Amino acid sequence: MSAALVQILDGNTFVVSDDRGDIEASLTDPTGLFSFDTRFLSKWVLTVDGQKLNPLSTDDLQYFETRFFLVPGTGTVYVDSKLSVIRQRAVGNGFHEELTILNHEDEPVELTVRIDAGCDFADLFEVKDALQKKGSYDTRIEDGVLVLSYERETFTRETRISSSVAGRVDKTGITFEPVIEPHGEWTTSLDVVTGLPGESYVWTKQAVRGGRKASMETNLEHWLADAPRVECDWDSLESTYRRSLVDLAALRFSPPVGGGRSLPAAGLPWFMTMFGRDSIFTSLQALPFTPELAATTLRVLGDWQGTRIDDFRDEDPGRILHEMRYGELPAFEQRPHSPYFGTADATPLYVVLLDEYERWTGDARLVRELELEARAALNWIDEYADLLGNGYIAYRRRNRETGLENQCWKDSWDSISYRDGRLPGFPRATCELQGYAYDAKVRAARLARSIWKDPAFADTLEREAADLKRRFNRDFWVEDGQYFAIALDEDGNQVDALSSNIGHLLWSGIVEKSKAKAIAAHLLGPRLFSGWGIRTLAEGEGRYNPIGYHVGTVWPFDSSFIAWGLRRYGFKDEAAQIAAGILDAAEFFGGRLPEAFGGYERSVTKYPVQYPTACSPQAWSTGAPLLLLRTMLGLQPIEEHLIVDPALPVGIGHLEVLDIPGRWGRVDAFARGRVNVGTSRGLRRQLGVAAPNAANGKTRRHA
Amino acid sequence: MVDATTQFFAALGSRGHEPLLENARGTLLVELANGAEIERWLVSIDKGDVEVSNGNGEADCTVRARREIFDGLARGEVNAMAALLRGAVLVEGDSELLVLFQRLFPSPNAVASAKG
Repeated sequence: MSAALVQILDGNTFVVSDDRGDIEASLTDPTGLFSFDTRFLSKWVLTVDGQKLNPLSTDDLQYFETRFFLVPGTGTVYVDSKLSVIRQRAVGNGFHEELTILNHEDEPVELTVRIDAGCDFADLFEVKDALQKKGSYDTRIEDGVLVLSYERETFTRETRISSSVAGRVDKTGITFEPVIEPHGEWTTSLDVVTGLPGESYVWTKQAVRGGRKASMETNLEHWLADAPRVECDWDSLESTYRRSLVDLAALRFSPPVGGGRSLPAAGLPWFMTMFGRDSIFTSLQALPFTPELAATTLRVLGDWQGTRIDDFRDEDPGRILHEMRYGELPAFEQRPHSPYFGTADATPLYVVLLDEYERWTGDARLVRELELEARAALNWIDEYADLLGNGYIAYRRRNRETGLENQCWKDSWDSISYRDGRLPGFPRATCELQGYAYDAKVRAARLARSIWKDPAFADTLEREAADLKRRFNRDFWVEDGQYFAIALDEDGNQVDALSSNIGHLLWSGIVEKSKAKAIAAHLLGPRLFSGWGIRTLAEGEGRYNPIGYHVGTVWPFDSSFIAWGLRRYGFKDEAAQIAAGILDAAEFFGGRLPEAFGGYERSVTKYPVQYPTACSPQAWSTGAPLLLLRTMLGLQPIEEHLIVDPALPVGIGHLEVLDIPGRWGRVDAFARGRVNVGTSRGLRRQLGVAAPNAANGKTRRHA
Repeated sequence: MVDATTQFFAALGSRGHEPLLENARGTLLVELANGAEIERWLVSIDKGDVEVSNGNGEADCTVRARREIFDGLARGEVNAMAALLRGAVLVEGDSELLVLFQRLFPSPNAVASAKG
């Protein structure tokens, strides 16, 4: 019985196995070796003398490497084995496995070691939806290499399996019959290479990022050395920061068709692909630490920007893509992800990222290069997204079979509702989309004036933004609740539930000053604030459920942008309180925040209850601590300077972020809490149980 | 009657400048198999300035397909990326050029169907 799943990956190649390293997948079972959204191994089982092995321990050496310590099965609870088996596996272009067997006896042993291998070449979508294959399979042996392949018209995929020690290869695996000396060992390496035969140069050349293990280790070391250092008297924050950096490194994804650049993928392992929204949000969060992610995200999403009307892909001119997939079903247009454009927020957010990126890096050249793309994105907002003709971005899928219903970040079916739980029809104009559109116009006006040298365009954008803000504050404002409706429905009426979406509005700056206080009070109030973070839907709403995906759980990414929004309107203490809650939660999760956790009241559960989810780490959860560091320090790039205006939660005595890269070169930011209060009465210290304290801070520029 | 591929390249060549290719610089060679014949189109792009010629040459990116597949691309009936994924279009070299180039293929839908 081996239920635990072990995952390692490189780029979008990853292995999911049980805790002895075996893979025994059925069509719907998510284990195997996957690459480019295709399963390249569905069976990989090691036996010694016909027996499966028992796991003693599993060590994740790196995100791309794992070691399994195993012993032959004894059938009892006692482990008293004469043999040890070690499998050390690293993902690269497929995977490489070192298999070592140790003989602990005074006598030599003769063994039959067998690897059973097989593959169903399932598309990820088939694994999810249990669809049947249409092509044909072939298995052959070429010079001692076992070749498994799949073919459907011109679509071909193959897996090549070989070993360093010659074994007996048959069509279902490889058998070895070693004799191991007393206290000796026997070892072979096994290579599983994924490939696309024939002339598919592009896949094999550009797909492999690190290649061999050594260069992958060096790559990770450089990545860590290049990022700013965080020093803090609260150890947990230092380790959460380090965890975030390592996970971001693992989440880097180099699209196989493109310039070989890497951008943050959405989540590991099932969402290791380009996602417009996720890549943009993560790049925004990481800007003060790894600005190069933003540059590549802008370039790659710009390259792929929509240029035509395509109902199947929900594509429009100027639209930024939602998701790209590389498997069989998109290839045969059974799914629209080649790429799919069904997102209403990525396009305005693309412009927001472009401006924020330039504010940090001063890279005006990229802003000039992407002028056409930015203008096309702005044009999309007015020309293609205003489905109701009322001047607001709205969405309704044109691909009714396989398109997405909800094209905002809360993309589950029941995420947008009225107070009484009813669901609105389509199109839907969710509120945060209007905030993003406003921010995009305001920011683009700055770029138009300072970099594109088009002051007339800047004036137009500012006029449109001001008009949008005025209308929005009138049309979305729920008078009897003193907050903004989550959406307008197909008749232009308010969808009046109270949700975390109102926090994004602060971040975008679309909220009139006179209304900000009421919004902040809701966000930190008992219905939305759980003590850990902001609930996606307020307690008391018809569909509220503390473990409902977008209707009550707390999303760390969501809370991190809300904290940024609170800072924007001067609510420093409130932002610090949210930062404290999320960073406390991070400590419970070993520094790796999940996609979401339960919306239960903190004082009731005492610990954050993880929402069951297949992906970890998730890119924008990984980015959340980075953005919270920024908001706690009040980092703000103003022309050639980095402003520091800290507000630290109680419990952080001092916080330093060293070597922050930007247009100023590298600077250090310091913050000291005026009061250093330990609030612990239990086993551990937590931050977010008391009010935040004022703090002072400064920067130091490097000589 | 002129076929879709010839029409596509003729129109591109006569435009001279293509705003959608302003970030592109390089040479794209399109090799189309038509029975036993290989038809070649060489497109050189310099920041949106486009020159099209028939024939061979040094290319930064080579795209290969059967003629009828490219006719489909030029008519908007075949999607370039899906065709690439299923091996009906092959690419060698700087594939980013192809990503930019595929922007030029027409829409598969009647215009303005997006408007709600």
